Amino acid sequence: MSIEHLVLRVVIKILFAPILLFALYVQFHGDYGAGGGFQAGVIFAVAFILHALIMGLDETKRVLPAAALKAMMVVGFLFYAGTGAATMLLGGNLLGYDAIAPNSDHNEGQHYGILLVEFGVGMAVASTMLMIFYQFAGREPEIRDEDW
Amino acid sequence: MTPGAETAAFWSRLIDLSLLTMLVLVAYTMLRSRHLFAIVMLSGIYSLLSAALFVSLDAVDVAFTEAAVGAGVSTVLMLGAMLLTVRREKTQRLGRASLGIAVVALVGAALIYATTAMPAFGDPAAPANSYIGAVYMERTAAEIGVPNVVTAVLASYRGFDTLGETMVIFTAGLGVMLLLGPGSGRGGRSVKDRPGKDEAP
Amino acid sequence: MTQFLAQLPVLPIIIPLIAAPLTMLLPARALKGRIPCLFATLVSWIAFAASAAILHSVATAGPISYHMGDFAPPIGIEYRIDLANALVLTLVSGVAALAFPFSYASIRAEIDDHQLSMFYAMALIAMVGLLGVVITGDAFNVFVFVEISSLSTYALVALGARRDRRALTASFNYLVMGTIGATFFVIGLGLLYQATGTLNMADLKIQLAGRDNPMVEAGFAFILVGMGLKAAMFPMHLWMPNAYAHAPSAVAVFLAATSTKVAVYVIIRFTYTVIGADFDFAGAAFEYLIAPLAVMGMFFASIVAIFQDNLKRMLAYSSVGQIGYMLLGISFGTEQGLAASLVHLFNHGLMKGALFMAAAAVAFRVGSETCDGFRGLARRMPWTAAAFIIAALSLVGVPGTIGFISKWQLLSAAFDSGRAWAGFLIVASSLLSVIYMGRVVELMTLAPAPDASAAVREAPLSMLVPMAILVAANIYFGLSTELTVDLAERAATSLMGAAR
Repeated sequence: MSIEHLVLRVVIKILFAPILLFALYVQFHGDYGAGGGFQAGVIFAVAFILHALIMGLDETKRVLPAAALKAMMVVGFLFYAGTGAATMLLGGNLLGYDAIAPNSDHNEGQHYGILLVEFGVGMAVASTMLMIFYQFAGREPEIRDEDW
Repeated sequence: MTPGAETAAFWSRLIDLSLLTMLVLVAYTMLRSRHLFAIVMLSGIYSLLSAALFVSLDAVDVAFTEAAVGAGVSTVLMLGAMLLTVRREKTQRLGRASLGIAVVALVGAALIYATTAMPAFGDPAAPANSYIGAVYMERTAAEIGVPNVVTAVLASYRGFDTLGETMVIFTAGLGVMLLLGPGSGRGGRSVKDRPGKDEAP
Repeated sequence: MTQFLAQLPVLPIIIPLIAAPLTMLLPARALKGRIPCLFATLVSWIAFAASAAILHSVATAGPISYHMGDFAPPIGIEYRIDLANALVLTLVSGVAALAFPFSYASIRAEIDDHQLSMFYAMALIAMVGLLGVVITGDAFNVFVFVEISSLSTYALVALGARRDRRALTASFNYLVMGTIGATFFVIGLGLLYQATGTLNMADLKIQLAGRDNPMVEAGFAFILVGMGLKAAMFPMHLWMPNAYAHAPSAVAVFLAATSTKVAVYVIIRFTYTVIGADFDFAGAAFEYLIAPLAVMGMFFASIVAIFQDNLKRMLAYSSVGQIGYMLLGISFGTEQGLAASLVHLFNHGLMKGALFMAAAAVAFRVGSETCDGFRGLARRMPWTAAAFIIAALSLVGVPGTIGFISKWQLLSAAFDSGRAWAGFLIVASSLLSVIYMGRVVELMTLAPAPDASAAVREAPLSMLVPMAILVAANIYFGLSTELTVDLAERAATSLMGAAR
């Protein structure tokens, strides 16, 4: 590896972890402030996309192979749909979270339900965005210098 | 209205107007430009400006999404797509431009016609603010118990729509995998340039 | 058991919704790619069984209301199923239940083996999208599922690119037009929401009562144009012939039989359940705008169909004309006209499904999609040829087939509402369909087969059986009109009743 884009490489190494942390904050703080699974998923994906842009896609694929992303897409969506199906089995209607904790006096079921589906959204969105990026970027190694 | 509120209203209107002006300018530049890289970058700027506009309309959640998706990920995806094609758009004369202009004018006229009956922005008596929206505001604390009403509507009251939207995202990803992934067609030949993990060499 | 029955309305949606992502993980190439196809077939059969159970329940016990998340409408999303939904729901899931087993042979020939599990996942998503549009009683939920069905359909059409690169252009055109249509639809929804503050269809009707203002008028116009685009209403049909011609054959079967029909259903739903009879502008729009366009579509598209060389394009143009019949029926503004439209919507799905199946079987065995491929087919593939001929007779409207029932209903609706001109135009445009269908039938029966005929065998059983079932439905519902006509009349009565 040469030292081209040295500044960018250093910057992404510093920023990578904080971006993921911010994504998690957005994911779990959605109940209180702006944000939620969708935005968190996108931010999560952005960290890896930045990594791939600077370090090359093959490096990123070593961390997160395409097959794992495919599984994450399915699992993420099934988290959401499965929560809905679970509430049906527990005696409620589809996505009737109150069935999760029917005797709670402080909406425990709703909290669990929202947490679960938001997690599913985050996982599905992050993996889908990354998968789309992999598919596009997988066709050409890197952005050429004259394009910047 | 107190003088302070009047000044605030003036400034917020000024901000709105300048943001809208910039949106139009960016959109026009995008239309005129033939340089795809510039167009991709301008579309990112366009999303960022819209996000700012949403903040000014107090729709923070929408602004957040627009900034993350529109300005962030889609710009990168557009870059990725652009790299697979040429760098400059081919200039071509479109035949039926007059028909297109007529359709656009008609749609614009219909939209302007609709605005004549719209309630003023932020009018508390407007149906959109006073009916179901107000019910969500009242009931969320007791029924759902989360402070952010947007999350309550998104994940709970209209959770099924969000399930559908997640399916839309999933479908988009699956569509791209089908069209660009292993086994996709390139003029009848299957692409072997980057065999996936589940593909025999 | 009671819990299971209470959850019945949502089963045709949630089961495929969960099954589709799982399909993607199935092995694509083991057992000659049978696993994803069998799994998808099974799921579509479950969806069909649930839809049929819903239809039975609605027909005997009245409309069903299901509250998503246990929130009573209009706070939460509601599934409100009356006869109109249930009928279209059964059509869509029924055609899917036949199209999935049918697709096995032709899809394996037309797309790469690696893609089979992803393909069937996508096909299930397309099915669930259409079912979700039909079943819901919430206006915005319609949009969400329109997006699901559209996105999946674009990808499915583009998969034809392995055979013919033009599928990519066709899919792209469809994507642009479809996105404009969906955007118009959502603009319309936004305007209606701004006028009422609610998204539940039944509640929209209540809130809109007596509020005739520019927002509502423009909103309805946007919804009508948006769905008109999706329904390939003349003159917004240009995306359709290419999309159907270049899509993989089995995909074309499913889309031609269901997708435009669902869009017509949405137009009916919004016209009667949401806007209702209070508003003069809706009636005027149908009388002075939709009816003339429908008639123009009936003639223009039929004439264009006569000159098509590609069989699937011909069938697609024929569909544009048939959509004209449905819209014409709605535009009468009478209960009978609406019932005739619903009957034709159902019947046309069955006819076009059978015709596209025959075309797909020919494409599979002969490898040709032009009318020339049908030369001497009666001797080379007698069963397929027979299926095509019966479905063609049905499309033309020969007594004993469902086409006759449709035409008869439309004609009596036209004459009873004092629109004799419409009756004559329906007959005249039917004559055009005799020409374009007759041309192919003549080639099949009278023309000599090309020299290479020895190499062509009859289509495999996995294709013939679904085709035979669909053709049998073409005759069965032509002789016994209890299910279709009676239910459609009752559906029209309840739609009209709700509109007032």
